[in-house]
Amino acid sequence: MSVRYGGSPPVLEGLTFGLDRGEVCAMIGPNGAGKSTLLRGMLDIGPVVEGSISVCGRDSRGLSRLERARLMSFLPQEYNHSSRLTALEIVLLGRHPHRAAWEGDSREDLDTAVEAMVLAGVEHVRGRAFCELSGGERRLVMLASAIAQQPSVLLLDEPGSSLDFRHQADLWNLLHSLGSRGVTVLASTHELNTALRFVDKVLVISAGGMAAFGAPDEVCTPELLGCVFGIPLDVARSPDGGWSVHPSVEAGR
Amino acid sequence: MIPGGKRLVWPALLVLLAAGIALSLSVGPVRNADAWIILRLRLPRAALAVLAGGSLAVSGCVLQALLRNELATPYTLGISAGAGLAAGSLIIFHPAVPIILSVSAGFGGALAAAFAVWLISRSGGGGDAARILLAGATVNLMGASVLLLFEYFSPASRLVEIVRWMMGDLSAVDSTVPLFILPFALIGASIVAFRTGTLNQLAMGSDLASARGVRVGFERNVLILASSLLAGATVGAVGPVGFVGLIVPHAMRRLSGSDYRTLVPASAVGGMVLLLFADVVSRIVASPAEIPIGIVMALAGGPFFLFLLYRDRRMEE
Repeated sequence: MSVRYGGSPPVLEGLTFGLDRGEVCAMIGPNGAGKSTLLRGMLDIGPVVEGSISVCGRDSRGLSRLERARLMSFLPQEYNHSSRLTALEIVLLGRHPHRAAWEGDSREDLDTAVEAMVLAGVEHVRGRAFCELSGGERRLVMLASAIAQQPSVLLLDEPGSSLDFRHQADLWNLLHSLGSRGVTVLASTHELNTALRFVDKVLVISAGGMAAFGAPDEVCTPELLGCVFGIPLDVARSPDGGWSVHPSVEAGR
Repeated sequence: MIPGGKRLVWPALLVLLAAGIALSLSVGPVRNADAWIILRLRLPRAALAVLAGGSLAVSGCVLQALLRNELATPYTLGISAGAGLAAGSLIIFHPAVPIILSVSAGFGGALAAAFAVWLISRSGGGGDAARILLAGATVNLMGASVLLLFEYFSPASRLVEIVRWMMGDLSAVDSTVPLFILPFALIGASIVAFRTGTLNQLAMGSDLASARGVRVGFERNVLILASSLLAGATVGAVGPVGFVGLIVPHAMRRLSGSDYRTLVPASAVGGMVLLLFADVVSRIVASPAEIPIGIVMALAGGPFFLFLLYRDRRMEE
């Protein structure tokens, strides 16, 4: 597929990739490469996609907006941080595609929302106003809201931004466990060191297209990542399965 | 699930509404009013206060969600200015105009202003909340200025009438006025009532709302139309009455919570209560003369809003 805004030249071209049910994929690439545009294009909320997207065996273009929302949920980078809703009410907003627009919260909605908050580790802030939470807590509450939507596919735009090391690790661990529950996850990220440990696939976006797609071992080479990010990188695998990706000494000179 | 303190909001609002209606029917320059005065004068006036208060409060509530700004009102988006320009011009150029024309002109003007805001914000490269807010401020200023221009060239005899109308007035009501506003209020309120969950989504941001199945552009236009119906018809009938669309949703947010599924109906009843009591005050403070309700709202609403802001700051600290 290719992705463009209106009549402008394509932001991304020649993308072909597929994720099996339950696979967790990290989308990486330099700032401005088009990662957010791809996610928004997949959801048909702005950019125009040419080509085809199949979700759970169904052509995405044949889906109504609500049908799509029941299959795919999204955590964008931008949302209203100053909402006075409580954290639980924010998570319950994720139930919107499953009920009429004026309906109240059912017991099932409430149970699903609380379960999502427990998974995301934010159950303890359920009664606090969203606007009073820290940036990291807000991010996790929004993730819980995306989980409460009960999607088959979870699209996340830099979910780990503003999270500390512990919460980053918890987040990627959670995404990995969602994968084991059959939820397919595609998340854009810059936290390679943490994310690579937990993902099944890596999609590398660069220079208006797809630079690579595959398992972390296949994709994460110093040559490829260095070329994509335009800086010499040291890439190492630790014996416990972790990854270390950082600018090489040459880059500092 | 309603937290403890919020359980009392609805009974309290309903008691206040009943008290407001009872006061509105029993207070006036004539102490021992007969059935004719109550049925022909006070009842329509109470009905108008209920319809106007509910309409303005819901209109403000909707715009605050759409613009993701708690300071948004029908005035901020130029809706009131458009309604004021259309209905005010009608009063200047065609005196003794039938009320249905005034109400319709108000709605037409509100709709035209909303359309102008939409056009300006779109031509600026998109329809995001900040752009709509700026376009609204522009239309608001332009509408008010053109009306001032018309007033400047109008004969002195008409000036009194238009100035009185600009102050917001429930006193010149007859039994037909609430009936003319009723369909506008009912249609506008029905449109909003079925979209309270959608308002919650739109208040969180366009991308998020779209991803949750909301047709953002369509729903935003429909809700602006509903807001124009509610505010436009009210302004056309009673003139611009400020602060209702600002302070009622603001106060209700603190009492009933920020979920628009409860905030919208709470604001509707809160708006009714506020205008009923403001109308009673307008009748008794200078009795037997009456003060226009717009002045009462401006005098009471401003300090009350400042109090809310001060209290918020104290709570944050």
